[in-house]
Amino acid sequence: MSEKANILLVDDEERVLRSLEMLFRHRFKVYTTTDGNEAVDICRRDRVHVIVSDQRMPMITGVEVLRRVREVSPNTMRLLLTGYSDLQAIVDSVNEGEIFRYLSKPWSAKEIVNIVNQASDIALSLEHESGGATSGVAPGVLVIDEDPSVVEMVKAICGKERQVTWSMDLDEAFETLAANDIAVVVCDIRLRGRDITAAVKALKESNPMVLTIVQTQLQDVETLRGLINHGQIYRFLPKPARRGLLEMSLEAASRRHVAMKAVPRLASRYQVEKNEQAPVVALSNRLLGYLDKMRQGRSS
Amino acid sequence: MPEQAQLRQLVMEAPGIPPHLLVNDVADMFMDESHGKLLSLPVLDGDRPVGLISRARMQQVLFRQYGRELFGKKPVTAIMNDAPVVIESDMALNEASKAVTERLKFPVTEDFIITQGGRYIGMGAVMHLLNAMEAQLARQTQDLAAAYKELKASQLQLIQSEKMASLGQMVAGVAHEINTPLGYVKNNIEMMEMFFDTNRALVAAGNSLADALLAPNTTEQDLQEKLAALAEMRQQPSGEADDMLKLFADTRFGVDQISELVQNLKNFSRLDRAAAADVDLNECLDSAVLLARNVLKTRVEVVKQYGPLPRISCMPSQLNQVFLNMLTNAAQAIEGPGKILLKTETDGDWLKVTVQDTGKGIPADVLPRIFDPFFTTKPVGHGTGLGLSISYQIVQQHGGDIRVTSQPGKGTRFTVRLPLAGRAPQENAA
Repeated sequence: MSEKANILLVDDEERVLRSLEMLFRHRFKVYTTTDGNEAVDICRRDRVHVIVSDQRMPMITGVEVLRRVREVSPNTMRLLLTGYSDLQAIVDSVNEGEIFRYLSKPWSAKEIVNIVNQASDIALSLEHESGGATSGVAPGVLVIDEDPSVVEMVKAICGKERQVTWSMDLDEAFETLAANDIAVVVCDIRLRGRDITAAVKALKESNPMVLTIVQTQLQDVETLRGLINHGQIYRFLPKPARRGLLEMSLEAASRRHVAMKAVPRLASRYQVEKNEQAPVVALSNRLLGYLDKMRQGRSS
Repeated sequence: MPEQAQLRQLVMEAPGIPPHLLVNDVADMFMDESHGKLLSLPVLDGDRPVGLISRARMQQVLFRQYGRELFGKKPVTAIMNDAPVVIESDMALNEASKAVTERLKFPVTEDFIITQGGRYIGMGAVMHLLNAMEAQLARQTQDLAAAYKELKASQLQLIQSEKMASLGQMVAGVAHEINTPLGYVKNNIEMMEMFFDTNRALVAAGNSLADALLAPNTTEQDLQEKLAALAEMRQQPSGEADDMLKLFADTRFGVDQISELVQNLKNFSRLDRAAAADVDLNECLDSAVLLARNVLKTRVEVVKQYGPLPRISCMPSQLNQVFLNMLTNAAQAIEGPGKILLKTETDGDWLKVTVQDTGKGIPADVLPRIFDPFFTTKPVGHGTGLGLSISYQIVQQHGGDIRVTSQPGKGTRFTVRLPLAGRAPQENAA
C-alpha cells in the first residue's frame, strides 16, 4: 500500500514520544501529544488510523482516551502502551476501549513496528468500508460454561429468536461451531477444573467472525493480556454473571457480528497475534481437526 | 457453660424441715453433729421450699428469757424466714452471686436454697459461692491475658500487612516510574542499533567506492555499480546526526532517572533496624516526594519551604514511612489540581515538619478519630485504616507528636513535632 497511514502517539513523557516518533516517521505520518484530551480532538478532526496511548497520565487515563476515540472515530485502531496498570484498567480497556493490542513498557522496537504496521494495514483496508446492512437471520449463541445458571440467563436474554446451544465439552463445542452459524460465544476460561484459555484463543484465530464474551471469576493481569492480544476477546465480565451487563454485551456482540457478515473484511479488526508459545499442546487432536476444517471452510 | 456445672457442685445436702415441725425438734436437728457445717436448714412443703430457719435465728429465739417455753411448742413457721433466697441450679455463677448478694439479708448467718425446676435439691453456702466466683475470675483474667497477647500479636501482623500494602502501592508506582524511562531507553538503543547497521553498510559502500576510485585498473562499469550501491544505501533511514544526539541525550537522561529512583528506594529503606545519628529530615522529605510522585503526578504541585535543620538522631526509614503516608493522604484528599505545602522549621527545642494540602478537608466529627486504628473513610479494600495510627506510633516513639487542623473544603494541615535533642526509639515499632 503506497498510502501512508496516520498514527497518533499519546504519552505524558515527551521522551517516549520523541523515541517512538523517530521509530515510525519513515513509515507513517506521525502525530504526537502529551495531552489525552487533545488526542481525542485530533481523532475527531483528522483521519487517524492507529492510536497508541499510555495509560497513566495526569489528567486523563489512557483507557478514557481510547473510549472517547472509539466514539468519535470508531475506525481508528486502538492500542494501549503502559508501564504498569491495575486489573481494572485492563478490563476497561477491553470493555470500553475495545483495544486491538495491550503493550507493555519497555517494549521491543521491532515488535511494536510490526504490530502498528498490522493495525495500520487493517485500518487502511477498512477505510472505505462502512458498516454493513443488517441481515434478517439471527445467528446463534454458544455457551461453554459448566454453570447452568449462565446458560439460563443467556436463554432468558435471547428469547426464542436466537438459538442458544450449551456445551460443557470443548470437542462438542467446536463441533457446534463448525456446523452452525454462531455469532457469539459466552464462556469461562476454566471448564471442569481445567484452564481452557488456549482454546478461547484458538477459537478466535480460526473463526474471527465469532465474538467472544469471557465471564470468569479469575482475575489475573497476565491471563487477560493474553486474551486481548492472542484471543481478541470482545468483552470480559466478572462472575457471578449480572444480567444487565451480559445483555448489553450480547446485544453489542450480535450487532457487530451482523455487520461483519455483511462486510467480511471488518473481521480483520479482530486479527489475533500469533501465539509463539504453541498453545496447541493444550488442545486435543480432535479439536485441532475441527480448527483445520473451519480454516479450510473459510478459505474455500 | 462451665458455670452451670459449678453451681450444682456447690450443693450441700441438708434435710428439709416439714412446716408443722416444732421449734424444739428443729433445735435438736441443729444439735446433730452431721449438720454442723450448715448455717441454716430449709423448710419444705413436700419438695417445695417455703422458708428457711438459721442457726442464728434459733439461738436468738431460744436464748431469750423463757424463749424455749414461749416458742418451743410452736411450729417452725412461726419463727422462720418466709422469704429465703432460692436459686435455680442452672443459673450462671455470676448471676447467682448477684442475686444472693442483692437479696440475702444475713449473708454471714444464712445459706441460700438451691432448686431444680422449683424442687429443692440442697443448700448453698455464701462462702462457697464466693470461692467459686474467685476461681472463675482468676480463670477469666487468664483468658483475658491470653486474648490480649493474641490481640497484640495480630496487631503486629496488621502493622506488617499495612506496611506490605503501602509497599505494594509504592512498588506499583515505582514500576511505572521505572518502566517509562526504561521504555524509551530500550527503544532508543534498538533504533541506534538499526542506524548503526545501516551506517556501517553505508561506510562499507563508501569505502568500496573509494577503493575502486584509487585502484589503477578500475573499470567504468565497476565504478558505476559501486556508486549505485552507495546511492541506494543512502536511501535507507540512518538517523540524522542531530536526531542521534537527541537520542543519546534522552537515553542518558532516562538512565539517570532510573538510577535516581533506585537510589531513592535504597535510601528509603536503609537502616531499617538501626537508628541513625545524623539524619537530615529535608533529605528524607525529598525522598518521600520522589516516591510519591506517582500519586502526585503533575496534578498536584508540591511547594517546599525548607528551613535550615540540624541533623537529628532518628530512624529515617520509619520517618520516611510517616512522610510518605502523609503525602499520599494529602494527594488523595485533593480532587483535581491542587497544592501541597511542605514546610520545615525549628521552634525552640523542637523540629517541625508541616504537610498542608488544598484538599477537601476532614469533617469535624471525623477529625478526632483519624489516628484510631482501623478508622478509615475509604471504601473496603482501599486502606487498612492503620496508616495514620502507625504514623502516630512512630512519631510518639521518637518522643514527638502529630497535630492536625482541618477546614472542610479548604484543606488539612498535619504538623509533626520531633525533639531536636533527638530520641531515637529503642524498641522497633514493628
